[in-house]
Amino acid sequence: MTQKKHDSDVEFIQALAELLRENDLSELQVKREYGDNDSLNVRVSRMMQAAPVAVQVPAAAPAAAPAPAAAAPAAAAAPAVDANDDPASHPGAVTSPMVGTIYMQPEPGAPSFIKVGATVNEGDTLLIVEAMKTMNHIPAPRAGTVKRILVEDGSPVEFGAPLVILE
Amino acid sequence: MSDWPKGYGVIILDTVDSTNAEAARRADVDQGAFWIMAHEQTAARGRRGRAWANPKGNLAATLVLRPVGPPQLFALRSFVASLALYDALVAVTGRPEAFSLKWPNDVLLNGGKLAGILLETVGRSQALAIGIGVNLQNAPHQAEVEEGAVRPVSLVSETGADVDTETFLTELAAAFAVREHSLATYGFGPTREAWLARAARLGEVITARTVTSETVGTFETVDASGNLVLKTSKGRESIAAADVFF
Repeated sequence: MTQKKHDSDVEFIQALAELLRENDLSELQVKREYGDNDSLNVRVSRMMQAAPVAVQVPAAAPAAAPAPAAAAPAAAAAPAVDANDDPASHPGAVTSPMVGTIYMQPEPGAPSFIKVGATVNEGDTLLIVEAMKTMNHIPAPRAGTVKRILVEDGSPVEFGAPLVILE
Repeated sequence: MSDWPKGYGVIILDTVDSTNAEAARRADVDQGAFWIMAHEQTAARGRRGRAWANPKGNLAATLVLRPVGPPQLFALRSFVASLALYDALVAVTGRPEAFSLKWPNDVLLNGGKLAGILLETVGRSQALAIGIGVNLQNAPHQAEVEEGAVRPVSLVSETGADVDTETFLTELAAAFAVREHSLATYGFGPTREAWLARAARLGEVITARTVTSETVGTFETVDASGNLVLKTSKGRESIAAADVFF
């Protein structure tokens, strides 16, 4: 991915955000095709009375996914979400080391490994990614607090997809 | 009759809650690769907490392995373990035609469920515990298993081969060592070829089910990463995690 493309993506998202505000819309979703296996999905939404917020939805081919939506128009004190909202680029993101299926509990009916707000120690299991009947316990890479959980029990996950934000 | 393989330890217990639980307790304490076998499990379990009946005379064993390389390659031991189990079963029965493999790690005997393999990472050291249960002597009744599950069978009832657990563990450990050496030395290629040559329902329509979706398609192959490849009306799909139904 080139810096030029990154910049053009950011401009594109900014333009969408402007459009949203000017037309008093609450949400706008656009897909941009760059070529085979390379596309950008953008959903821009805002809470009424609040600043617009840009969110990038994962593109069809994650390896070729273009730049994160880094720069939503800066507005004072956006209340909902950080403007730097691509979870994969968050410094506290724990990403999936493989393609597989997510399990939030050690077994059905048991309590979840983690909850938002919980503190974890380095090495504690955050969740399980199953691939080929192998239950991969994903350990916390460091101690911290669970800020966000970005996946759901039973859902599929791609390689490199953000799972949890730890701070 | 095989010899115990070099480089692998072994611990034999009279009774334990589950051999995978014991593996988790020992993974950060004991060194190297080792098998744990128990004559009796008091809290045997299958994948995602499913019950696993474990009467005496059946094999209950877990291998603690310390694979090197990225975590997505750990799962290739599903193929190594099921191939090794296939090899051990052929060694004790002399009947290769009776056994087949179902993606990713089921070993079928005359189309019935003979064994269960459960792999999980354990301990701070991220060791891999490969739990293997084999109905050597007893199989649960059809009424005791989940609806739609493959018919449970035992080795002795289907083939007449009456094998004790320690003898079988030695055959399995020896076969595993050979298959694991192949994976470590030559990569997944030969393991994949060997697995596909023993696969049930290759080229036939099968169903792959996850918690959230179901895919029906022709079982084309297993790809170089171990994914199940189905040809469906919407094209090819490669599947990393699912339960397969025939």
